[in-house]
Amino acid sequence: MSAIDSTQDTVLARLASIEAGVASMLERQRRQDEMLDELRPMMSVAMRSVTQRLDEFERKGHAEFLRELSAVGQRVLESYSADDVRQFGDAIIGILDTVRAMTQPEVLSVLGEAAGTLAHAEKAEALGLVGMVRASGNTDVQRGMGVLMELLKKVGQGASAARRSGAPVKRLEARISPRATAGALASTAPKSRAAACGTMKAAAPAAEVVSIDGVAFTPDGHLADPSAWTRPLGERLAATLGVQLTEAHWKVLEFARKDWEATGSAPNIRRITTSIDVTTKELYALFPKAPGRTVAKIAGIPKPAGCL
Amino acid sequence: MDGATQRKVAIICSHGGLDEVYPSLILANAARQSGIDAFVFFTFWGLDAITESKVDHLHVNLAGNASSVMPTMVAGLPGMESIAAKMMQKQMTDLELPTVREMLEILDDSGARLYACELAMKMFKREKKDLVAQVQDVITAGDFYDLAEGAQIIFT
Repeated sequence: MSAIDSTQDTVLARLASIEAGVASMLERQRRQDEMLDELRPMMSVAMRSVTQRLDEFERKGHAEFLRELSAVGQRVLESYSADDVRQFGDAIIGILDTVRAMTQPEVLSVLGEAAGTLAHAEKAEALGLVGMVRASGNTDVQRGMGVLMELLKKVGQGASAARRSGAPVKRLEARISPRATAGALASTAPKSRAAACGTMKAAAPAAEVVSIDGVAFTPDGHLADPSAWTRPLGERLAATLGVQLTEAHWKVLEFARKDWEATGSAPNIRRITTSIDVTTKELYALFPKAPGRTVAKIAGIPKPAGCL
Repeated sequence: MDGATQRKVAIICSHGGLDEVYPSLILANAARQSGIDAFVFFTFWGLDAITESKVDHLHVNLAGNASSVMPTMVAGLPGMESIAAKMMQKQMTDLELPTVREMLEILDDSGARLYACELAMKMFKREKKDLVAQVQDVITAGDFYDLAEGAQIIFT
């Protein structure tokens, strides 16, 4: 019996201790509940305010961002036409291609090396002309020069291509417009021939040499064969050009022929006035209307060269 | 050739550089040599070409000239333009090219007519007596158009 009692006591004592534990647990729980009850309203207020604040910030930020974005869009619209944008689109492909080419590993490594050198630029020594010449013996420098030259070549080719790409338009223009010039030339040639030789009235079709009364002329009215010239022929030519030859005229004509024989080219006005005793004014009076050419025509020599 | 078909050119020379004046004068001279009537109107800096005190001292424009062999930075240094003008003068002498003064005489002798711009004369405070003798008259742009009626106009 006593054994049973002692067991009972032990059980009771354990129960009591369990009860106490439960009670303290309950007490703790109750206090936590109380604290939560107190905290909950505070927390909810705080949370609400934070959420609101965040929301506000977010909305404000977005609005600002959107506003800025639309301003950028507006600026783009104002500054660029649709054509520009299209061109830009085309250019992007080129840019991407370039970026792709530039980001190839080997290119990047070369650029990386170069950048490294630039980063330590303070270590590089100043190099004069002599130093440059000496450095050109270095194989690395030589290779680098080779690469730079290739680069330069490509840049040059690119520039030429850019210039050529403008050409088709010009060619087209040339095809349309030069008729005026050609027409003018075609119409003046027979006229000057007629002027050189009054006897010839019917304008011959454009030909290298025109023969009148057995004398051959170039299309611009000069004697085709200067050695065929005679004094009487000169007088006839002068008459058709409306020039009455005097001693003063002959002085100029003789010089022109002599100079042509000596130099192989007809003297221009400047050469005549600086070579013989005749002034520019006198020359224009003797041979009105293009004195240089008139002298050459009458003297049976080609058209004078040069601008003076 | 009768009056109706007589060709005319009116050349307006508005710059005073040696390299800018010559083309005008040579064009006018070439016109006369070809039996074409020529009028030259000197205005703004072009007046220097017909001003007695300046005609023998025209400079070559180097700075900002893309065709110049000299870099613009160097070309802007004092004295460079004088050197370049002397070099060009020498080349022209070698080519037996007349000086600007001679060219003006040749043009006058050949029957080309030279005019000064009235407004430019006022701007630069010059008078008819400051100009070379070959200048026919001081006229306005409108007068020039009247004189050069029917002419082809070349602006240099």
